[in-house]
Amino acid sequence: MYTWSTHQLTEYFTAVNASADETAAISLAVERACEMVEAEAGAVVLGDRVHGAWGFGSDVPTKGILSIARAPGTLPVPALGDLYAVPSALGEAIEGALIVGRLDEPFTPEERQMLQGMAQVLGVALRSIRVLIDERTLRAEREREATERLILLEQAQTRQRLVETLLTIQRAISNRKPLPEILDAVTSGTAALLGGAPVALILAEGGRGRRLSVASTSGPEGYDFADPDSSHTEAREAMATAQVIVRAVDPHDPAWGTIVATPVRVTGEMAGALVAQLPGSVDQYSEQREQLAAFAQQVSLALTDARTVEAVREAHHDPVTGLPNRGLFLKIFNRVLASRAALTEPTSVLFIDLDRFKAVNDSLGHEAGDQLLAAVAGRIRACVRASDTTARLGGDEFAVLLHNSPVDAATAVGERVIETVKEPFNIAGRDIFIGASVGVAITRAAAANSDTLLSNADLAMYRAKKEGPGKVVVYEPHMHTEAINYLSLRTDLQRALQEHEFRLQYQPLVRLDTGETAGVEALIRWHNPARGLVSPVDFIPIAEESGLIVELGQWVLETSAAQVAAWRRTHPDLTLNVNVSGHQLVHPRFAANVTRALAVAGLPSGAVTLELTESVLMSDPDAAVASLASLRELGVQLSIDDFGTGYSSLAYLRELPVDELKIDRAFIARAELTGEDLALVRTIVELGHILGLRVVAEGIENAAQLEALRRLGCSYGQGYHLCRPSNPADIPQVLARRSLTAVHP
Amino acid sequence: MQSLTDRWFGVGHSVAPDSAKAGAEATAAALSGRTPKAVFVFCSVNHAVPALLDAVRAEAGPGVTVVGGSSLGEISSEAGATTDGVVVTALGGDGFDVRTRIAYVGGNGHREAGADVAHALDGMDRPHTALMMICEGMSGNPHEIVRGAYSVVGAAVPLVGGLAANDTGKRSFQFHDDRVVSGAVVGVAIGSDAPMGVGIAHGWHRVEPPMVITGSDQTRILELDGEPALDVLLRRRGMTEPAELFANNTRLQAIGLSRRSGEDIRIIVAADEADRSLIGLATMPQGAICWLMDSDHESLVAGATTSCEEAVAGLDGRPPIGVFTFDCGGRRGALGDEGIRAEAATITAALPGVPFGGPYTMGEIARIRGSLGTHALTLVTLALA
Repeated sequence: MYTWSTHQLTEYFTAVNASADETAAISLAVERACEMVEAEAGAVVLGDRVHGAWGFGSDVPTKGILSIARAPGTLPVPALGDLYAVPSALGEAIEGALIVGRLDEPFTPEERQMLQGMAQVLGVALRSIRVLIDERTLRAEREREATERLILLEQAQTRQRLVETLLTIQRAISNRKPLPEILDAVTSGTAALLGGAPVALILAEGGRGRRLSVASTSGPEGYDFADPDSSHTEAREAMATAQVIVRAVDPHDPAWGTIVATPVRVTGEMAGALVAQLPGSVDQYSEQREQLAAFAQQVSLALTDARTVEAVREAHHDPVTGLPNRGLFLKIFNRVLASRAALTEPTSVLFIDLDRFKAVNDSLGHEAGDQLLAAVAGRIRACVRASDTTARLGGDEFAVLLHNSPVDAATAVGERVIETVKEPFNIAGRDIFIGASVGVAITRAAAANSDTLLSNADLAMYRAKKEGPGKVVVYEPHMHTEAINYLSLRTDLQRALQEHEFRLQYQPLVRLDTGETAGVEALIRWHNPARGLVSPVDFIPIAEESGLIVELGQWVLETSAAQVAAWRRTHPDLTLNVNVSGHQLVHPRFAANVTRALAVAGLPSGAVTLELTESVLMSDPDAAVASLASLRELGVQLSIDDFGTGYSSLAYLRELPVDELKIDRAFIARAELTGEDLALVRTIVELGHILGLRVVAEGIENAAQLEALRRLGCSYGQGYHLCRPSNPADIPQVLARRSLTAVHP
Repeated sequence: MQSLTDRWFGVGHSVAPDSAKAGAEATAAALSGRTPKAVFVFCSVNHAVPALLDAVRAEAGPGVTVVGGSSLGEISSEAGATTDGVVVTALGGDGFDVRTRIAYVGGNGHREAGADVAHALDGMDRPHTALMMICEGMSGNPHEIVRGAYSVVGAAVPLVGGLAANDTGKRSFQFHDDRVVSGAVVGVAIGSDAPMGVGIAHGWHRVEPPMVITGSDQTRILELDGEPALDVLLRRRGMTEPAELFANNTRLQAIGLSRRSGEDIRIIVAADEADRSLIGLATMPQGAICWLMDSDHESLVAGATTSCEEAVAGLDGRPPIGVFTFDCGGRRGALGDEGIRAEAATITAALPGVPFGGPYTMGEIARIRGSLGTHALTLVTLALA
């Protein structure tokens, strides 16, 4: 018969973790806890305040509740009577307690254990909500500061509209809009700046005659100066004198308004004039004259860009995204470093690498891949100022050069890039989801080298990918040392298999009721002559990254299978547990390799259990399920290692053909297990029983832990208290002992 | 202990096809010439409800509280179990106070509506109180209505009531002060100088093995054990077509969630063939372990006795003057015509000489232990002394 409590903890976990804020989480946690143990009333105490009081009616006995937070007891409630009340601590992260009170009978030890489990679930939920809120507040604060800075900047730089208009034109140019569209942006921008006045851009055509033509107009129509056949007197004069001309349309009648013409240059040469007609008299427009002059200056630069951009692009730009290529980027970078106004001015470079791009490219084809890269380029550019430089370095790598950007600003840009790339891309009619990792390098040094900075940003990006993905990491000098260490470790590791530097040790898996050794887990050890013993924690990730893990895993399987087959001659029931990496699991020949190894060793497949971690199963569940299903057909058993540390989802336990759960040592690590530990372990053990799985406790280090686990009904265990990992030569002696739980190792 | 002799509880029950006549007959029988404090009316949606309520009002007189709702059938000490009839209960005499309040779930939500009507108890000054709730039964999430009421009144006040029903349309009806409304919660605060007792019982049992609700969305079960829920239910019931599951002659499809004192039963009313999900009347918590539930006539009928005995036991030894019943329409479906006659006889035997009456509902409300107050497939009783 199943106990009702274990079932409800999962239900509770799902409900509480869906809450959006602290108040909602607390109310839900209290209500559901009360409903599940059929308690009449409950509350949460945080510090010296009562939250989420439930079931007390309008008259909440705050004092009584606070006193229960310290110790269980009786809670008198007006109009209701005395409740049996117990507090359950919310865990280490949050100081507080979940309190429930019941009228008819006290809580059983089993119920109190479940309540402790619930309180811990609430504690975890509250902590993650707080972290989220802190992050949100921080982000809001940053955004507010940025806005304030912008306002100050705009006040300092005359007109906000001027900036906006110029940015619109810049964007039109940088987005490679056709020239007529850019020119229309120029005139409509000017018109807006002048309160909707009619505006025309007059440009000189090539050739000797220098005929003037109206390239673009904006605002009301029908004005002489915008007529293609007009004499363009003011425009010609502005071009000839290189001065802003301000003149009454009719010198005898100010009611006709004022005409303003400013010269426009392209690549240094006089190319035309921007002409506007304003309604008032000449003396009214000194400010507009200044504005128009400043504006025309910017327009000149913009047009220069637009005219020269094509030529430059062809040599130095990436044809897919239209961004500068690596060569041009480094040139620009060097120029910026050389021309810094002050040597202390910080220059930052962002190295951006896309996550999962390869999968898109492989599955949807190169054309879709190119479209995606172009779209990514557009989004990255939208995250930076027009004055910053964005480049595609090659493949799915981009870089951004930020002028005068301190570390905070550069990191913020990196975060913006990650956010924007995370949004779905619609490519070939479907939504594509990718991500990005960003490394940042910053210099204030006088003799900065663009190559070095870029490679530092690359190192930081590499670290971001490792920690993330989807993270921004700023380069620090130790990363360089680590990178060198990593490379040398990787070289050594590649040689180690040929040099026979790997050994296996075996740790017994013990039946907790009889103390008999049921099986052994094979554990890999690497002894390098120069480095000494290298921990698997250090070399397994490298083996995984370099792909060496497939070969190494196969070696472990073959060696241990042969060894266990030999031991089975005297201990025919002995089984073997082998750890399997995610890379092995998704390798197309994995099932075949396992079959071969077992056949060669003469070990029946039913004697072998492959151990997988939760993260492996979750990262690519479809591939995992397919591979596991074929292994299962062979009769090989499967175990979830480190259960409880990750998703621990009921759903995947039901989906995957799992036979064994290993409770992570983290839950058993304390010398004396607390009620909370016990509640969690009990939950896992019962879950295992419900689903018909073998449950193994790892890391049993003392007799108290052993006893507690036995009491909870855990069937198997491993740990120093039972037997340390041993060399193959010592195992027969271990197997000869009748019971490991009776003898200390 | 002596009962207060001038307090009374009356029941009338009519199956007259004419709505006005049925309302008048049942009310006249319930009042027997006495002036009531409150009149409770439950009738089929097939009646012309406004005409029926007008007739009730004419009999009860002005100023008397009239509340009620549409039902899936009626049961009483007067006429046993019927369909398409009307049952009227009434109480009066000294030592009773009745106050009412109405709120709409469409306005602010289920929980808020529940919390709102709980304020019917405000200012109630009697030693014993209870809150009866007559709720829209077809707007989903009745749990939240009851949680809302509980958040205001707490554990000191028992909650009882039922979900109004409509077996042909999409809305049920609630009656409050001569108005027929939909999507509402009617709260009836009853104050009494004598104790009131609440009883509840079902009569269903688990069918092994259990399943995990691996996917759900509000009142919908998407997956059981990681498989489309509809496919699992069809397999477990040995059927191939979803229509078979919910056919009239088939047993009711119910699942039970594991709870301390047994199961929290939820009825499955329909299946969605498009996404192979199952649709229930109340929230289906993801992650919960559940059992298919089955029943047999004997244990269902025995449950009726248990419910009545529990309610009477809450009266501190005083004799009951009358009992409100809220019986689940699902029990009726499971028991069949003969079964419900047996159930009515069983209640009569459990409450010898005591008038009782009430509707067949879409779900029942009874909060006695703990704080969970909504149920399915139960018989809820509120006994007055």
